[in-house]
Amino acid sequence: MARPSTLSHFATLLRKDLRQEFRTREMLTSMGIYALLVIIVYGAALALTARGIDIANMGGGLLWVLIVFTSLLGLGRSFAHEKEQGCMEGIMLVPLDRSVIFLAKAVSNILFILVVEVIAVPLFYFFFMTGQPVAPTLPAIIAPLLVGTIGMAGIGTILSTITMNTRSKDVLLAVLFIPLIYPLLYACVTATTAAITGTELWTDLFVMPLVLACGYDVVMLLVCWVLYDFVVSA
Amino acid sequence: MAKKKLKLPEAGQWPDKLVIPALAVGAVLTTAGFLMAFLYAAPVNGAALDSPKLVGDVMVTHQQLLSQKIFYFHMPVAIVSFIALVFAAYYGIRFLMTREQRFDTCSRVAMEITLLFVIFTMVTGDLWTRFEWGVWWTWEPRLTTYLILMLIVIAYFVLRNAVDDPERRATYASVVSIIALVDVPICFMITRLIPSSIHPVITREGGMAPDMAMTVVIVLVGMLLVAFALYRLRFRQARLDERMQALKDQLED
Repeated sequence: MARPSTLSHFATLLRKDLRQEFRTREMLTSMGIYALLVIIVYGAALALTARGIDIANMGGGLLWVLIVFTSLLGLGRSFAHEKEQGCMEGIMLVPLDRSVIFLAKAVSNILFILVVEVIAVPLFYFFFMTGQPVAPTLPAIIAPLLVGTIGMAGIGTILSTITMNTRSKDVLLAVLFIPLIYPLLYACVTATTAAITGTELWTDLFVMPLVLACGYDVVMLLVCWVLYDFVVSA
Repeated sequence: MAKKKLKLPEAGQWPDKLVIPALAVGAVLTTAGFLMAFLYAAPVNGAALDSPKLVGDVMVTHQQLLSQKIFYFHMPVAIVSFIALVFAAYYGIRFLMTREQRFDTCSRVAMEITLLFVIFTMVTGDLWTRFEWGVWWTWEPRLTTYLILMLIVIAYFVLRNAVDDPERRATYASVVSIIALVDVPICFMITRLIPSSIHPVITREGGMAPDMAMTVVIVLVGMLLVAFALYRLRFRQARLDERMQALKDQLED
């Protein structure tokens, strides 16, 4: 029998994650409800000021806070059932390139976060931005959302592998995750806000942060990909 | 092929002989730099202290001309913190290559020195922010990236405390120290990438006058020597502690 290729390893691992999620719907429900709850908290926080201020200028930032905390929740869970059910030992017994585990896990995390974004962004729009005229550049927020999600899922995957074996895992994940994604977050918030406000010179504030965010993604994903072997074998 | 014997850093090797001289010279140089900053280096662009003066396009008061002296310490300690972090990551890589706990000790001690100098930088930087810019804190790109550098270094120690198994702790710590290194070039380049930032960039402000450069170099060399001496002293203490623990464990068995 021929040895299965790296690609089939990857596909199998990814399919396993998706099937597990499809059957339990554990992550997506908890992340989706959490996102809705954050929006409700925003509703309370902005109750007195939402009409007085220009929500378009704050929208990008609020949206990203929502995404960061929701992803944090999902990333913390992403290795939990692997550990609870001893699945990780099984995967480690297979003679495969360990980086494939990283890629498969990162891709499944990207997919989960994207699904949550697809639900949360329209909800955010529905609750806060319908009173505003829509800038024609609004669809451009897809680019920073995508770039940010890829980077967050990549960094989050290696960090949740690290914190899986520590005491106080969830707190530690947040302590490590938020500083490490900060440059990415900063760039993505700038680009998102530029697209939401859509002022005349919006491309200046949109393109440069997006390029920087892509650069950070590439560097971080490469570093994480190389280091993952050590982390998962420890 | 015989495996090349790995040379491990150990307490009492030749660098330990340099600790006392390094500490003495470092103390002399930093003190000299402190005096030079006030007595030798002239205020920026030859301004006199008796009246406000136009530097660049900004009217500068004599209080600002004096608080500019913070720069002579702020920049050297910031550079030393970056260098210490480079060493921490270097030993992290060495650990991952060799799986030798010794390098993890080196990496940890280097990270402790990084934290110390990061705190020095934050304190001097905050004084600068207060007296030159008139606020205690501003979300300026360099400040922000440096703040997150400090948070990553703190998170490194939080992570170390949360893992019990030494092998695993060393691996995770090495990985985080390498990831933390990514923030150094970002922090360094950010004021050049985002030109609107108010953080001074020396090359943009037309370089340093020779007397200023001289003072900075003396403080920088002094701080590097102090950092080296602290590193070796702390490393020796950590190693002796580890050896004593090993002896204790042996006695118990």
